[in-house]
Amino acid sequence: MSSGLFISQSDKRPIYLQIMEQMKQRVAVGDWAEGQAIPSIRQLAVDLQVSVITVKRAYLELEREGVIVTQQGKGSHVASSPGLGTRLQEQELEKHLEQAIRLADMLGIRPKDLEARLRETGDRRMEKEEEQV
Amino acid sequence: MTDLAIELKRVGKRYPYFALDNIHLEVPHGQIMGLIGPNGAGKSTTIRILMGLVQQDCGDVRVLGRRMPAEQIAAKWDIGFASEDMRLYEGMTIEWHMNFIRSIYPNWDAPYAQLLLKRFGLRAEQKIKGLSHGQRVKATLLLVLARRPRLLVLDEPTTGLDPVARHEILRELTAVMTDEGRSILFSSHNTQDVEQISDQITFIDRGRIIDSMDKEAYLDRWRRLRLEVPLGIALPALPGIIGIRQDGRLAIATANVFAPDMANEYESSGARVKSIETMTLEEIFVANVERSREEVEA
Amino acid sequence: MNSPVIRTLILKDWRLHRLHIILSLVASGAALLVLQFRNEAAFVIGSVWLFVSLIVLGSMLPVSNVINERKKQSVVFLMSLPVSALQYAVSKVVSTIGMFLAPWGASAVAATIFALSRRDIPNGIVPFILILFGLPLVGFCLVAGTALISESEGWTISATIVCNSSYGLIYYFIVRNPAINGAFKSPTPVWSPPVLMILAGEALAAGLIMGLTFYLQSRKREFV
Repeated sequence: MSSGLFISQSDKRPIYLQIMEQMKQRVAVGDWAEGQAIPSIRQLAVDLQVSVITVKRAYLELEREGVIVTQQGKGSHVASSPGLGTRLQEQELEKHLEQAIRLADMLGIRPKDLEARLRETGDRRMEKEEEQV
Repeated sequence: MTDLAIELKRVGKRYPYFALDNIHLEVPHGQIMGLIGPNGAGKSTTIRILMGLVQQDCGDVRVLGRRMPAEQIAAKWDIGFASEDMRLYEGMTIEWHMNFIRSIYPNWDAPYAQLLLKRFGLRAEQKIKGLSHGQRVKATLLLVLARRPRLLVLDEPTTGLDPVARHEILRELTAVMTDEGRSILFSSHNTQDVEQISDQITFIDRGRIIDSMDKEAYLDRWRRLRLEVPLGIALPALPGIIGIRQDGRLAIATANVFAPDMANEYESSGARVKSIETMTLEEIFVANVERSREEVEA
Repeated sequence: MNSPVIRTLILKDWRLHRLHIILSLVASGAALLVLQFRNEAAFVIGSVWLFVSLIVLGSMLPVSNVINERKKQSVVFLMSLPVSALQYAVSKVVSTIGMFLAPWGASAVAATIFALSRRDIPNGIVPFILILFGLPLVGFCLVAGTALISESEGWTISATIVCNSSYGLIYYFIVRNPAINGAFKSPTPVWSPPVLMILAGEALAAGLIMGLTFYLQSRKREFV
């Protein structure tokens, strides 16, 4: 089974983080359903041509975050918690918001102004979509 | 039966202009160990000692539970060894070499050998004389892989290869690890290869081992902190920081034992932590070798 | 010690040097054919040719089988196989000697039979033929021993030069020995004490050199 994951050499982040992020994405977009079996650590390592220990680390962290469950002898599954996909997407949103706030802080933009700009961006996007329709 | 595929204890070897000193090295079964270090650091000598090809002056060497070099015959049945300077017979074909190896190893896997020929883009009837460097490396590796050894010991397997050939070889090496009972030790000065496929990392420089540990834990220990230091503020010396480079108000601190507190300590000294970045193995490699050289000079 | 891997290594050396051995046999055969012409020129050319082919084989084998394997780093490939340094050393000594002894022995036997079968050549020449065949054997042992022990191309070439330039001188002293040239015309071989002593000397020299080589080789622990 091909995992469909891809490790980028130009991505400066550690490989385990890339694996975690892509697996979360698969769950978030619904490619990997709750409770679905996922490749074993060794399988994925061979598939991605990365070391076992790197995949193991990604799996351990994903397990800690409640995204997957690994059972001795039974392999790993996507966790069967309802709304997992949505929750992951929300986490993703949270991350981007934090990033936006940090950048705004560096540029000296106050939270209130950031809020206004966020609304503006939303409006612009809406207009664009209407034009396309 | 020990759970280590390779175990070197207090190994030393003296040459007129070079010495290996107090080498400790452990490779657990089922793992890939990447041996990295600059040219002339002692990687090849270490590998030759653990293969029994060179005899250590002192220390214990055990490979697959066998004492080296005394029990090298028994050990070498299960070891596939290839090194960069290893040469096949120029006037003979790849097929001749395959038959030669098959006549020695009963567990030679002929279908796998054929598959590897195809994957590596080699033809059995080619003479070694007419092969390019990359093809020679692949032919040598084919002879090693097709006997399915429990331990692969590879000295610079990807040196001088084009990206496609490198990729093909890394793919076969990681494929070996489908089987949990098999282990690989390989040396390289290509840090990208080591970072990608190894479970364990050993750093060697000037005949000494600088670090040897789990790759993930190792990469995790290193961080680069970008700091903004207002004029008149001196950065405190923190344990775990191996170097600070400052240019005007901007400074970069390199941590080899990173702790989250470091950021707080710098902040409370008056500096501002702009970012904390992970480092690639290549960056760690350079920082490590530079530090070790400074220590030697000091 | 008699591991099948040693046998494989020796067979491998024979396969690699098939051409050397066959060419040497062809050259010896051609020399014997030339000797069939019953005139003095043919005799001189044939016998010189016979010895030159053995001398060439004796100088080339050690370089090709011992020195080149080292120089081209194929020894690393061999030492990665399940063999010890001692086994590798044994395989090298045995294969090098064997590959020379086979064509050498065949030529010596053929030349002796040739001399015995020809009515116009007195059988008294046979001891002289055997003594002459002993020379390239001792020379080969010296060159091969040097190659195996020193593993150096320079020393091996030096040994070859020393041997090849001594053959003429030694030949001169042997031919001038009355105990030997006096028996040339005899209808039966004369095994006089000087003849036996020279033959024994050659055998002893070859045996001693090879024994010493074997001993020194078996003490080596590293070949890489």
